[in-house]
Amino acid sequence: MIQVKNLSKSFKKVDAVTNISFEVKKGVVFGLLGENGAGKTTTLRMLATMLKPTNGTAIVDGIDLLQHPEKVRGLIGILFGGETGLYDRLTARENITYFGLLNGMEKLEIERRIEEISNMLDMNEYLDRRAGKFSKGMKQKVSIARSIIHDPDIMLFDEPTSGLDVTSIRVVHEFIRRLKEQGKTIVFSSHSMNEVEKLCDEVGIIHKGEIVEVATIKELREKYEDMELEDIFVKLVGGKK
Amino acid sequence: MINKYTWIVLKKELTDIFRDKKTLITSILIPILVFPIMAFVIGMGTDKFIDDSSQDISIAIISEEESKLESFIRDHEGINVVAPDNPEEALSELDIKAIIKIPQGVDQQIENDEMPDIEILYDSTSTNSDSARSRVAGIIGEYSQSIVFNRLEELGIDPQVLNPISVSSTPIANQDEDAGLGIMILSMLLPLMLTVWAAVGGIPAATDLGAGEKERQTLEPLLTTRANRLSLLMGKYFAVVIAAIMGTIAALIGFGIAGKINPNFMGTGSGMPLKSAVAVGILCIGLALVFSALELAISFFARSFKEAQTYLSPLTIVVMLPAYLTMYLDGKEIPEYFFHIPLVNTIAVIKESIVLVFNIQHILIVSGWTILYIALALFLTVKMFNKESVMFRS
Ligand SMILES: Nc1ncnc2c1ncn2[C@@H]1O[C@H](COP(=O)(O)OP(=O)(O)OP(=O)(O)O)[C@@H](O)[C@H]1O
Ligand SMILES: [Mg+2]
Repeated sequence: MIQVKNLSKSFKKVDAVTNISFEVKKGVVFGLLGENGAGKTTTLRMLATMLKPTNGTAIVDGIDLLQHPEKVRGLIGILFGGETGLYDRLTARENITYFGLLNGMEKLEIERRIEEISNMLDMNEYLDRRAGKFSKGMKQKVSIARSIIHDPDIMLFDEPTSGLDVTSIRVVHEFIRRLKEQGKTIVFSSHSMNEVEKLCDEVGIIHKGEIVEVATIKELREKYEDMELEDIFVKLVGGKK
Repeated sequence: MINKYTWIVLKKELTDIFRDKKTLITSILIPILVFPIMAFVIGMGTDKFIDDSSQDISIAIISEEESKLESFIRDHEGINVVAPDNPEEALSELDIKAIIKIPQGVDQQIENDEMPDIEILYDSTSTNSDSARSRVAGIIGEYSQSIVFNRLEELGIDPQVLNPISVSSTPIANQDEDAGLGIMILSMLLPLMLTVWAAVGGIPAATDLGAGEKERQTLEPLLTTRANRLSLLMGKYFAVVIAAIMGTIAALIGFGIAGKINPNFMGTGSGMPLKSAVAVGILCIGLALVFSALELAISFFARSFKEAQTYLSPLTIVVMLPAYLTMYLDGKEIPEYFFHIPLVNTIAVIKESIVLVFNIQHILIVSGWTILYIALALFLTVKMFNKESVMFRS
């Protein structure tokens, strides 16, 4: 579903991502594991076509993201960061509808889809209230709804649980599991071993802009003889230092 | 560049702006109210002055007998002679504004070429009483002049000998006399108001639509929708422009109301020909197009909402400066090079329109410049919006 080919990105002086390649098959949850500044966000931003790669490209569902960025954007949904904001003066419904429209959906289709998502996330009660006064939990659900309004086949999450409390983290994890059940392809970045172990099928470990290992959780365990994931990570990354 | 996504963004942003009470107050309510309040305050000062001098002045006359002088005063327009029980007390209460004491046998004394002594009592601490005194003194002066004329005629001398020189002054501008003050106010305020509001009216919206979007972290999802970047940007741009134009229109409405409250406020401005008004209107929209683009660029450049506000507030001063410096510029003698200085050139055309000059060449020059400014400003904004190091820095 996603083939990352020699993707690189450098800002003026910094090489944020250097020549990374990996593949994510349809229906797989792929975890990008790395420390602060490893290049996770940069990688996901390139996949979301927000940043232009300095080198390399990625093929998303057969489409080259350099050639047809709009088409690729239509296929993906993103949830970047734990606390994503909303338009405070718009209602939850208006917030979500806006993104539906910008993804080329028809009004009726959006209506139907909002009803579906709202039932799923249990947000009917405040759907038509302005988002400004929402609690963090409510805002988070609206952000989630916003990210999947156009029913994307691929979801990109960038540290979606950072800064959240336990309840909100559970909501996000639950949401990712549900997407997986629906057969969506998911790329998901984190610096928490636990989280990755809990949710992912495959892991790519990224360090200083380079992928140092790509494997399934099981393969990692076998290869490193049942070491804890944390230790594996320390070993891999530590060796590079 | 402009497609259905542009309209979706524009519609959403306008909804958002219109629901923001703070923006509504600063961009619409204040410009509507400022000028009527000014007109009212200015009007109160002058109107009161006019009122008092046109109102009947109450005075008392203390005399022993009927006299020609007393009936001259009584018959005089604008004087209301009353007879209070205690005139001096009534004066100290300012129920009457002055007291005239006429000595006995005044008619006889005049007849005999003696100089009767008329005394006026007034309250020197009251301006109204003081002006009543000069009014009354004037009336007595009139009476005494009529006596002088009679005496001269009796001697067979033309009373005109007393007026060796005749002075008359006529304003040469082809306007009614009252318009002078109005022209002054209009010529000073209108360019200031139009340019400043067109230029800075979009600031609150620009701050929110650029830096606000970044700070809210809604920019990333926005950039990941199907809509391409330029159409998103254009939607935001038009929203800021509309906010700026709305502010300008609000200020103009306020100006119109002010003119109704106090006609002096507008002077001959209301007589501005349609073609001038249209030219001024288009140039102001041009100004809004230039500054909205600049504001949006600055707002996207800023890291946060606060930072955007810090960068954008000095812009107000930058805009006001040329408007202030040209405040006393006479619309009839504007140096040619003024039409080539940004912002000043728009002000210059407005100044001309106010003094009813319609110079098509000037208007074309300024329009040409404005189109160039718009192109440059938009170019900068698009560049900024596409610059990854600016849009994604934190
Ligand atoms: N817009 C930018 N301009 C300049 N340098 C940048 C920019 N964005 C990221 N970088 C740099 O690129 C490197 C990778 O950053 P990135 O945000 O991708 O890391 P990350 O893995 O997401 O880290 P974190 O866990 O802190 O979010 C860092 O050194 C960062 O300073
Ligand atoms: Mg990151």
